Amino acid sequence: MVTVTEDTQLRRRVDDMLRAVQPSAVPLDAIVRRGNGIRLRRAGAAVVGVGLAGILAVTTLALDVGRQPAAPAAAPTDPAAPGETIATGTADGHAWRLAVQDIADPGSRCVPAITVNGTDADPVYPDPGYSAAVALGAVLPGIAFGFIQLPADIRGIIVNGRRYVPAVTVAACGYRYHVAGFAYSLAQATRITAANPPPGEPTDFAMPDLASKPPATEVTPQSAGVWVNMGRVSGAAASGTLASAGIPEKGWSIAVTFGTGGDCYEFSASSSLGSAQTGACGPVSTPDGPETIMALPLGLPGDATAYAVQVSPRTARLKAFLSNGSSELATPRVVDGRKYAAFVVPNALRLSRLNWLDAAGAVIASTTALPRYGYVQFQP
Amino acid sequence: MLLAGVEQVVTEPRDELAAAHDAISYDEDFSAFAASRWPGLVRLAFGLTGDRWTAEDIAQTALAKAYVAWRRVSGAADPDAYLRRILVNTSNRRFRKRRVTEQPGDLPELAVEGPADLVGERAALVAALRQLPARQRAVIVLRYWDDLTDVQIAAALGCSPGTVRSQLSRALAALRANPAFGEGDEW
Repeated sequence: MVTVTEDTQLRRRVDDMLRAVQPSAVPLDAIVRRGNGIRLRRAGAAVVGVGLAGILAVTTLALDVGRQPAAPAAAPTDPAAPGETIATGTADGHAWRLAVQDIADPGSRCVPAITVNGTDADPVYPDPGYSAAVALGAVLPGIAFGFIQLPADIRGIIVNGRRYVPAVTVAACGYRYHVAGFAYSLAQATRITAANPPPGEPTDFAMPDLASKPPATEVTPQSAGVWVNMGRVSGAAASGTLASAGIPEKGWSIAVTFGTGGDCYEFSASSSLGSAQTGACGPVSTPDGPETIMALPLGLPGDATAYAVQVSPRTARLKAFLSNGSSELATPRVVDGRKYAAFVVPNALRLSRLNWLDAAGAVIASTTALPRYGYVQFQP
Repeated sequence: MLLAGVEQVVTEPRDELAAAHDAISYDEDFSAFAASRWPGLVRLAFGLTGDRWTAEDIAQTALAKAYVAWRRVSGAADPDAYLRRILVNTSNRRFRKRRVTEQPGDLPELAVEGPADLVGERAALVAALRQLPARQRAVIVLRYWDDLTDVQIAAALGCSPGTVRSQLSRALAALRANPAFGEGDEW
């Protein structure tokens, strides 16, 4: 039996504890995006059911009329390459391929995205009229890749008045994209026009301006591998906390928001000295592609650097070796079908090596090429 | 530059998903509802989890679920009770998931010393609540923070009022016996 005194005291202490929590501003956009994701998952499950029923019906019909079942219609050019090809070519002697593919880990909800060479994904939904572009920095200097989602009645585009790029219809995760993809030089302005503009529809398409982006420095964000989308773009989105410790007044957290802006990480820390946060966006990796290792240094009150890595499905742990000989283990967390690991390193120390461990604890990859700030990409 | 190998791939139309995505738009009523409930939800979730960022994540998920079921939530006799139930369920599911996926060897090994140390009276309460089973913790928070009756707590937890009373009794006994929490009878 609780006494009146106990009751009063406990009420006061619970009240005091919870009133000390100062929530951030209501993240209405994130809530609605997450709600849309829930709806889409439900709709997706329904469509899968409808699709299976349709397949059964078509198969039955084919057998009824005595014909062989048709071969799958959506085979990519290279059977080994993931997804369906939008365009391929070479740039400065390097082969490239734009495709649409599922970028979620196997067994997770399908997440469609447009990729360059199987990685650096732009998780967009079908959205005619919108365009996006990406440059890969030192990997292919001076070259950008772009795509334009076209209305169904436009059969292609003309780049700089002389190069015709046909639109293709490709699909991933049940979504169908009518899109033209191409590579272009950043050395000159790029003009895109519709090959057959229907009456009353715009003839020109705008592309993001990548040429004016300054090179990355300690204070200028990196942009290599991060798509820039034009206008309001609908895309897959998710967010989640990757690691945290402490209580509101004294603690830290590393969170990720995944969407058309890339994999955007935020490192927040609070102590008696106050609170602060820092964040940056990096390329969106695919399950088989290179992994992005992001470093987010924060001075006081955090006085630490947060590291976040989007890891492959078979990674069970990340082991971080520090300059004083100690090590830390980070267990990945899954955010909407993609796996991330995160940890903090006090600024007094340095991260000297990172090992990828499988479920049995065996090292599957290792690197010492680690950033102090910003990101690097590493293929385990 | 030569573009080679461009192919056209024809697939089955699956526009239902795109249509579902486009059909969803902001609802002003929901926006106002979410904004007014957000601080309370985060605090309630903090009481259930003891972690501020996990709390915000759970509160966000609960509001996202409420957004999806907005017609049902807004049409309910007590929308707050509906939302509270969603939040408690979300928190419990997360807790169950962690119990399954994080074996003892998988416990986070990144505890931060110094700035993240739990100190003071609030920290003691956070620590003491964390040691309680999830349902007992929920009963304490719903009773002493949300000021709910046994019947209201039972509705939020999906159990009987009798279970609420027995869980509350056990939780209080555990808190009394927790040396890190209570000093004698002084709470």
